[in-house]
Amino acid sequence: MTATRLLPLLRDIDQAVALTPAQWDDTVRLARQSRLLGLIAHRLRDRDDLWRALFPAVRGHLQAAIHYSTHRAQMVRLELDAIDAALPAGRRMVILKGAAYLLQGLEFARGRIPNDVDLMVPRAGLDEAEAALKSAGWESETDDAYDQRYYREWSHELPPMRFPGHALEIDLHHTISPVTSRIRVDDALMFEGVRDLAGAGRFAVLHPCDQIVHAAIHLFQDSELSNRLRDLVDIDGLIRRAMRSEADWRELLSRSERHGAGDVLWYALHYCRTWLGTPVPTNLAPRPPPAWRRYLLDRIFSRASLPGLPDAGGGFGRGLALRLGTFRYHWLRMPPGLLLRHGLAKTWRATGRSAATD
Amino acid sequence: MTSPPERIGDIPLSRFDDYFPGGRVYIDYGACRVAVTAPVAELKAALHRVYGAFAYLRRNDFSDFHVGIHSGRGLRRWLRPTARFSIDGVEPFEPYPRDSALPMFEWGVNWCFAQRFNQYVLLHAGALALGDRAVIMAATPGSGKSTLAAALMLRGWRLLSDEFGVLDPASGLLLPMLKPVALKNRSIDVIREFSAEAVLGPVFPETRKGDVAHLAPDAASADAVGRPARPALVLFPRYQAGAALELLPQPREQAFARLAFNSFNYALLGPVAFHAVADLAEGCPAYELRYGSLDEAVARIRTLLEHEEATS
Repeated sequence: MTATRLLPLLRDIDQAVALTPAQWDDTVRLARQSRLLGLIAHRLRDRDDLWRALFPAVRGHLQAAIHYSTHRAQMVRLELDAIDAALPAGRRMVILKGAAYLLQGLEFARGRIPNDVDLMVPRAGLDEAEAALKSAGWESETDDAYDQRYYREWSHELPPMRFPGHALEIDLHHTISPVTSRIRVDDALMFEGVRDLAGAGRFAVLHPCDQIVHAAIHLFQDSELSNRLRDLVDIDGLIRRAMRSEADWRELLSRSERHGAGDVLWYALHYCRTWLGTPVPTNLAPRPPPAWRRYLLDRIFSRASLPGLPDAGGGFGRGLALRLGTFRYHWLRMPPGLLLRHGLAKTWRATGRSAATD
Repeated sequence: MTSPPERIGDIPLSRFDDYFPGGRVYIDYGACRVAVTAPVAELKAALHRVYGAFAYLRRNDFSDFHVGIHSGRGLRRWLRPTARFSIDGVEPFEPYPRDSALPMFEWGVNWCFAQRFNQYVLLHAGALALGDRAVIMAATPGSGKSTLAAALMLRGWRLLSDEFGVLDPASGLLLPMLKPVALKNRSIDVIREFSAEAVLGPVFPETRKGDVAHLAPDAASADAVGRPARPALVLFPRYQAGAALELLPQPREQAFARLAFNSFNYALLGPVAFHAVADLAEGCPAYELRYGSLDEAVARIRTLLEHEEATS
């Protein structure tokens, strides 16, 4: 069972009228698994004719998704208020991903259910921001010395922090790709493009093109590619919002080149267009990655990233694709020597722990 | 050709599988319908008894939850047989011993419902009705809410639920979420003695909540799972051994706070829940009910509801 009816529904919400109860039975589950039930629910709620035509049981699930996502959005706002109060006055704070989409009021951000708030400051400001949050009561989610060192030396963010009792955790970044990975974004260009948001106080967001580049890096460079349709829907929405002229596309291509993210942008545009019908010009495209890499990525992505139902069975192909996705994630994140070292350290520590508990 | 069975209990247990193509059993709880795949043999027998009055559905196009109760894997399957609960392929709990498949299933369905059914305000309350007028009994665990719900059903009330007061914020109506009543410890014998008509499932000793046995809902309650009821009375029951029956009227703000506090998703629903619970507290008289005798309590609740009808 794959997302045969989910993709058409994401492309065109009017498809909802044609779905039978049995088709909704799959579609609700697949949409929930992809964390897209809330977005579909909001789109249907906006259309009175479609909303009324829904089967009451289906409408119930969608209404529940609207309530739940409204609650999570409120949790994000409360967390941002608390963060604002904790930080020294006069310091700008960049917000990324879910919280940024929410504060910008983007259409596709409705129905999202964020688990964390992603923040970013220049590396020089990292210690100050971390100290301010810690002294206000946030605590690191790991006190493990190796994990702390791993994050601080090789990652692009600090270990997650949580204020005791709060629903969401904070990821404090200093850049948008792991420092050991093969993509090194141009931090100066990125921070130069940051823009304030009306009515959002100290909170600011990336340049609209960099938001697309970041989402593409996050999906194709910094994830295991499994069950990632929602990330693609984000990119689709960012493109539809910001890419309005040929000049916009030129700027996107130029910035993605300077961030070293041409390949991941190519993948993002390719799958957005193929799966979601995103309007992407053919004459203004990044240079495609080599054919063998496109082939390999497609073997993984087209099997692993769409949701699947257990009763249909994913089969051997999906299982293999999921494993390859995990391998690729680690491979891209670290040079082989470091990856080996990290793998050995994790294995050694896991062995030690299980020996200690036996 | 004989006519198809009307209720799950009408099916001969020895031919259970023949009636559920693909090994999929559908249960209509009222507020939701659940598809159960691959129930282990222990669960089939238990379902046959405690869901005996529920409608037999040969097929169901849209199910709200797809859960599985599979047997444990590998060597453990033989050494220590277990049952695993899954929803859409995800297993949120540790496996249970296989002979406790029913408590696990019940707990699992409650969990799914409480987690996901946020289109409704989910009060932690028992709900019963005479006709379409309902009494809501909200209380913290251990106050005797389930025992009282069981006793009312055995005296002819329609059981909507012993656990969930499913309040539709759009209509203000209560929906049935009819499940077997989970009786704990001493309540099991109390109910057995209370009525000869009580159909009880097997006793599961020493679960997380002590000994548990399930009382099967009766046919009248099962036949009406599609019928919502209008809240008419709110009670906060409290059992005290040997206590004389006492009714303490609750001011509306007090009733509001106690209902909101005993809710699974009040905070999540925010303003939606606020308005729904406020309307409920506004529209129904509320009492704390202290009692030491089930018979006395049951008789008094009936008088209260009938009195309300006469004055409203």
